Amino acid sequence: MSDAATGVRSLADRIAARMLDASVLERVVIALVATALALLIGAVIVAASGYDAVEFVSSLVYGAVGNVSNLAFMLRQSSMLILTGVAVAVAFRAGVFNIGVQGQFVVGGFAATLGILFAAPLLPNSPVSAIPLLALATLLALAAGGAYGALPGVMKAYAGANEVITTIMLNFIASGVVYFLLDAYLRPEGAAAPNTEQFPDYVGLPGLVFESPSFSILGLGVALLTVVVVYLVMDRTGFGYDLVTSGYQEPAAKYSGVDPKRMIVRTMTISGMIAGLAGALFAIMILGYYSDPNTFPTFGFDAIAVSLLAANNPLGVVPAGLLFGGLDAGGQYIGFTLDVPSELVDGVIGLIVLFVAAPELFRAAGQHTSLGGDRE
Amino acid sequence: MSTARALLDDQRTLVGALVALVAVIALLLFVDLPGSDLVTVGALERALQAATPIALAAIGGLYAEKSGVFNIGLEGFMIFGALVGAAVAWLLAGDGSITQAHLWVAFVAVAVVSGVLATLFAVLLIRYEANQIVAGLAVWFIGLGFGPFAATVLWGGVSSPSLPNIDTIAVPVLAEIPVLGRLFFDASPLVLLTIVVAVAAWAVLFRTRYGYWVQAAGENPEALDTAGIDVNRVRYATVVFSGVMAGLGGAVLSIGIGSGFTGTGVTMVDGRGWIAIVAYLFGNYNPLGTYGASLLFGAMDMLQIQLQTIGISLPGSITGLFPYVAVLVVLVGVGYTRVPSAVGESYDTEE
Repeated sequence: MSDAATGVRSLADRIAARMLDASVLERVVIALVATALALLIGAVIVAASGYDAVEFVSSLVYGAVGNVSNLAFMLRQSSMLILTGVAVAVAFRAGVFNIGVQGQFVVGGFAATLGILFAAPLLPNSPVSAIPLLALATLLALAAGGAYGALPGVMKAYAGANEVITTIMLNFIASGVVYFLLDAYLRPEGAAAPNTEQFPDYVGLPGLVFESPSFSILGLGVALLTVVVVYLVMDRTGFGYDLVTSGYQEPAAKYSGVDPKRMIVRTMTISGMIAGLAGALFAIMILGYYSDPNTFPTFGFDAIAVSLLAANNPLGVVPAGLLFGGLDAGGQYIGFTLDVPSELVDGVIGLIVLFVAAPELFRAAGQHTSLGGDRE
Repeated sequence: MSTARALLDDQRTLVGALVALVAVIALLLFVDLPGSDLVTVGALERALQAATPIALAAIGGLYAEKSGVFNIGLEGFMIFGALVGAAVAWLLAGDGSITQAHLWVAFVAVAVVSGVLATLFAVLLIRYEANQIVAGLAVWFIGLGFGPFAATVLWGGVSSPSLPNIDTIAVPVLAEIPVLGRLFFDASPLVLLTIVVAVAAWAVLFRTRYGYWVQAAGENPEALDTAGIDVNRVRYATVVFSGVMAGLGGAVLSIGIGSGFTGTGVTMVDGRGWIAIVAYLFGNYNPLGTYGASLLFGAMDMLQIQLQTIGISLPGSITGLFPYVAVLVVLVGVGYTRVPSAVGESYDTEE
């Protein structure tokens, strides 16, 4: 019995490994071509709208890496996108579409904020208090994000509810409820905006390399560490193996004794925990307080593009996250300096996703351009 | 086996309907109110209006999915429809004021533009076998980016200025009927149009040869192919139809019952495309059931006004969430509706 199970296991292992590795190079090429094509269309639209396309592209690059403060901003956006990208990738890898990273991110950041605001007065007002506060905030963010991710997992596993739609609905609900709580209970007396009080000065991450009030290299470190941990868990542990096979080879996974329902819930929980961690990083490193989630950057949605470009590979999320961080920073720079609306960059990101979804398009294009190789 | 499964599915639908009913009753008990104050002619009127954009998109999505293609991009097509409707009406009027004729031309233009965009989308899905869920999400992202972008180019901000909308039309004689007259014959013509579309969609799907082809393309494409019908041609038609309908649903929001394009946040479409998908699942792929489900979501959308008129003041940020919560309740209740068996699979003819 156990011999048979091991046999099936190693067979499934080989099949899964082959399916995952065979097309790495192809994926890289598709990702690059998709990005280039989307940028080209973006530039054409810029020109068609009466703007200067060359200035658009050069400003995009300058805004991302043109000077130290632009670079710091890009790395800040990249840190968030890498973290949320890994959250998406974990779920996609297991065959579950978690479109709810944005909501889990909002809930996680909110839980971290509550922890800091309520625990800070109980501790002495000294920098040493930062350590227990940050630890508490992180734990709460993991728990809240994980729970909010588990919810659509349970709905999918035990009621068959399509997770794409439930997670999108839960995004709307998270923003609405958190806004309500902020507005009704956490807004300081007399404040006009629905913002919480500022965190104590000592709660934050030291800038270290960059002198930026909203970016610390430690934030990038947290993101990269998460990537490494997720990679090791998915690549080197039995749990990670079960996760990937249940995504790619459901019958094999079932045969080797994996309960697919429980796997869905676990996957969504882990994905939500990582999204929650991203929320904590956003509240602590970038904001230093909490505010209306409807005004937040849509890291959770852009993360879908990051993960897809990385072929849902946790390590691939790092270059993809850097690329999108660059696009994001470049886009915002354009919004400030040129009169080209920065929303264009969001559209370009959408185009990248669209092209990545259709690898056949590139195969067909490749056949057409291989000039007579296939013709008679 | 299949009969047992069908029976189970029917029960699921029943369970779903019961869950929804219990939820509504629980809500009424919770706030301790006579239901009669909630259901007024005014409330029905608002619910019918709110249901219109959802129902249009849902009926389109239903056809696509029945033929075997999951068009998850409805939300994105709605954004484009809302934008194009407002933009065309505004551009046509030039410096002058926007007339009813401009609005109707814009409405038709939305159908044309949505048809072109949906054709491109259909080519990616059918010819190039794109992942339907990912490509559909991409359409949403593209709408979220290019919608506000185009608005900024046109109007200098992510939203349009306030625009007029299509007038209500009173049908002579019929408008005099008590209650029904006010609901249907002295209302936005788009409300009536949508009901006609729902009935026609039902008739075509279940009572014509073409409807049979659509169903066969989703259930048993091989058989349809053997019968000499081009499966992919049927699918192209339904995907384009779904894009056009979702676009019109968006136009209803901007120039039908709303007053222009709003590009802030997730735009004025605000999740209605997603709700439309749930509406046809809840309606069990029946256009009439789908219209009913849209009406339910429309009523949820408008519940805030009803609660206010009877003196319950919940904050708008909470009542605004009712439709989304309703979607979750419905999805959990009817999660296992029987999806057409060939959905998501591309079909290659063996030639």
